[in-house]
Amino acid sequence: MTTTFANLTAFVLLLTITAYSVAGGVDYGAGIWDMLAGRSPTAERARQLIDHAMAPVWEANNVWLVLAIVICWAGFPMLFQSVFASLYPLFSVALLALILRGAFFAFRHVQSGPRAQRWMGVVFGISSLLAPFFFAAALGAIASGQVAVGAPHVSVWQACFNPASISFGLVSLAATAFIGASFLVGDARRFGQADMVDYFRRRAVISTAVLIVIGTVALAVIGLENRPLLNAMLTGLGTPFAAAAVILTPVVGFLLWRRVFRWYRTLSVVVVGSLVFAWGFGQSPYLLPGQLTITQSAAPLGTEVLLSIVTLAVVVLILPSLALLVYLDQRGELESPQA
Amino acid sequence: MHLLTLVAAESALLPSRIQMAFTLAYHVILVPLGVAFPAYTLLMEGIGIFKKDAAAIRIARRWSVVMAVQFAVGAVTGTILSFEFGILWPKLMGRFGAALGMGFAIEGLAFFLEAIFIGIYLYGWTRLRPRTHFLLGLALPPAGVLGTVSVLATNAFMNTPGGVTLGSSGEVTSVDVLGALFTRALAYEFWHFLIAIYITAGFIVASIYAVAWLRGRRDHYQRLAFAIPFTVAALLTPVELVVGDLSARALVADQPAKFAAMEVTWKTRSHNPEVIGGLLTDSGQVNFGLSIPSFDSILIGLSPDTVAPGLTSVPATARPTIAEANITHLAFDAMVGLGSAGVALALWYFVVLMYRRRLPQSRWFYGAASLAGIGSYAAVEAGWATTEVGRQPWIVYNLMRVSDAVTSAPGAVVWSMLSVLIVVYAAFAVIAVTLLLRLAGRWRREDAIDTPGAPEAGVPYGPPSERLAADAPGRVKQGISGTVQVIIAAVLALLGLGIVIALVIALSLVGLGAAARRFIGRFTRSSST
Repeated sequence: MTTTFANLTAFVLLLTITAYSVAGGVDYGAGIWDMLAGRSPTAERARQLIDHAMAPVWEANNVWLVLAIVICWAGFPMLFQSVFASLYPLFSVALLALILRGAFFAFRHVQSGPRAQRWMGVVFGISSLLAPFFFAAALGAIASGQVAVGAPHVSVWQACFNPASISFGLVSLAATAFIGASFLVGDARRFGQADMVDYFRRRAVISTAVLIVIGTVALAVIGLENRPLLNAMLTGLGTPFAAAAVILTPVVGFLLWRRVFRWYRTLSVVVVGSLVFAWGFGQSPYLLPGQLTITQSAAPLGTEVLLSIVTLAVVVLILPSLALLVYLDQRGELESPQA
Repeated sequence: MHLLTLVAAESALLPSRIQMAFTLAYHVILVPLGVAFPAYTLLMEGIGIFKKDAAAIRIARRWSVVMAVQFAVGAVTGTILSFEFGILWPKLMGRFGAALGMGFAIEGLAFFLEAIFIGIYLYGWTRLRPRTHFLLGLALPPAGVLGTVSVLATNAFMNTPGGVTLGSSGEVTSVDVLGALFTRALAYEFWHFLIAIYITAGFIVASIYAVAWLRGRRDHYQRLAFAIPFTVAALLTPVELVVGDLSARALVADQPAKFAAMEVTWKTRSHNPEVIGGLLTDSGQVNFGLSIPSFDSILIGLSPDTVAPGLTSVPATARPTIAEANITHLAFDAMVGLGSAGVALALWYFVVLMYRRRLPQSRWFYGAASLAGIGSYAAVEAGWATTEVGRQPWIVYNLMRVSDAVTSAPGAVVWSMLSVLIVVYAAFAVIAVTLLLRLAGRWRREDAIDTPGAPEAGVPYGPPSERLAADAPGRVKQGISGTVQVIIAAVLALLGLGIVIALVIALSLVGLGAAARRFIGRFTRSSST
């Protein structure tokens, strides 16, 4: 009984992390492209588009992050304690990046003057790089098996910075840029800006190639340094998801290269989701590989049942509301004449 | 090695406490605006729709923009708080997460609902029919209440833990969901806090327009925007006095050391004086301060013979230090003093309203009203300091010490994080204030030439401005069909209201009833002896 509910909670936790990776990825990705745009009239148009596409967000993506945190500490208290006891440096940096990013996004709207704007854009861009890198590095550190139950058993720095965590961080950066560009293509199409469609299409194709290269290198590094982790990811429950990511990434690149503007956004969501699922299913039934399983870390039955009820409420209450919000947003955009 | 880790752990305790206090104190500022402000906005919108008052609609729409700005800041500071439980207090969550975390899980749900419905509310101004927009907005106050009750369920568990079975090493082995969510302190903490933030939101909004009145802007728009929030808040102040009194009494049984600290009572005794102000010394003397003989005993049990608990009734290692007791006492006095001032202001308002049949005209009144917002905030912060500092040295009362929950990270790490946070939070304050002042200035200019534009323009959150410009008044959106709109709105509003009604009934039955019973029981006991 407890096992069933604990597995359900673990799956919901994985879904929440995936949702943040996708929603946050689109957002951080836009921030990365904002920083990489450079200084030219085209870059200014790209920045305007990015700003326009991100405005409806008002930090609501943090919802997924908060949900993941609360599910983790209520459903798997010992996992939560262990992860934060070993990996607090990673989370501290990710958190600071997250708030700097929020602050400077808003600041750009308040402050005028091109120099101030540029300076704030740089902070905004750098924090858009740091946050996904460090969040993903935390997942990599967990996967590496360096997080001990309760208190750290290796030095905190070793737990935080090892080949697995850095590889995860780099792959997440590439994936973030990839999904960000792919969605900006969609936004540019929505606003009817043909030159911007092409601008972000080229960037999406390039980032597909970068993602493939970094992904391959990361796998090789993990294989050399941490054989059990590579095996766990390539054999077992994670395999279909790893395979999906490997196959679908080039497909997105190909679609955008050939200007086929169908399915590319859905597929890039599937790619990012598959990467997260490959990690999550790859290490199941362990939450901390080799040390702590889902059942061992599960909270007592009552808490797990309550979490299932909360999940049900999210599905019943929030999904329809979210659909309504997205509908209102997208519908309005379609109706607007081009500025 | 062991000694070394011990030193490191100790050095992280102080910065961790400061950081938690700082970030919570900051986040609390946003709570009234996030939880209670939507209710005032909806009230205003309702007046606009049902009394066909264009000024009320304009006020409501502008307030909703303020809501969006503060929500963005609150979303960030709230996210930081949730991470801090891991970064600063990992062992608290490791041991009690299964019980404490449940409230937060529900809060996650509520936060999600709020985020979405604030979005719908902002986008809906131009895209939905007025009544549908209003109905959908009705989901916001219940979502806020749900969030409040769940966060307070966590805090109540820390004050009066219950509903859990502990194993031999203190770990949680089984959880009674309702027992752990609805602990004894929840009922009074919930009502006390909820009413407090409704008062605060009402007074802070009204105080803006009180300042406008003092500066000579006294038209229908300004008077409406002042009177509605002020009246609601003023009506609530006497209620808060009663609920606050019940809460304090309940502490005599629930947390005697906290109560003793609030009243700086050193030894348990009858005929205990009520000390206003003053500082407790190491020897148990109270210096300075105004002492009213036997009044504390009378307040607890309506008789000077009632025995009031003293700090020394609890071992020195399990009660607040002298410094903490003094902070608790002064914060408590500040809260009670400010609350009483609020009641006096409310009386002034209603006397004028009843006998003169109009809003007050005195500059003194508006001067006082313009301070009521800040005063309410100070009272909320003081009340929160009372409950948190008064619980020391416990993080979970009588079960886990703050020092046992703190991170094993080196103190230097926490100190540096704290300093960065202070700088960034200051930046947040500057951004938010600049943005709001700029908006206010523009709205004023638009009113002066009587051509109000879209209030959202220039705000980083909400529908992009150029699109709004295209929404000429005559261009009604042919979005979702009217019937579907009404059905969606009705279903969502009903669900939300259902949650709140269920909560209110549950809390009323469990909570205030129990507090009142305890109070009556004590009264009868003390009179029979």
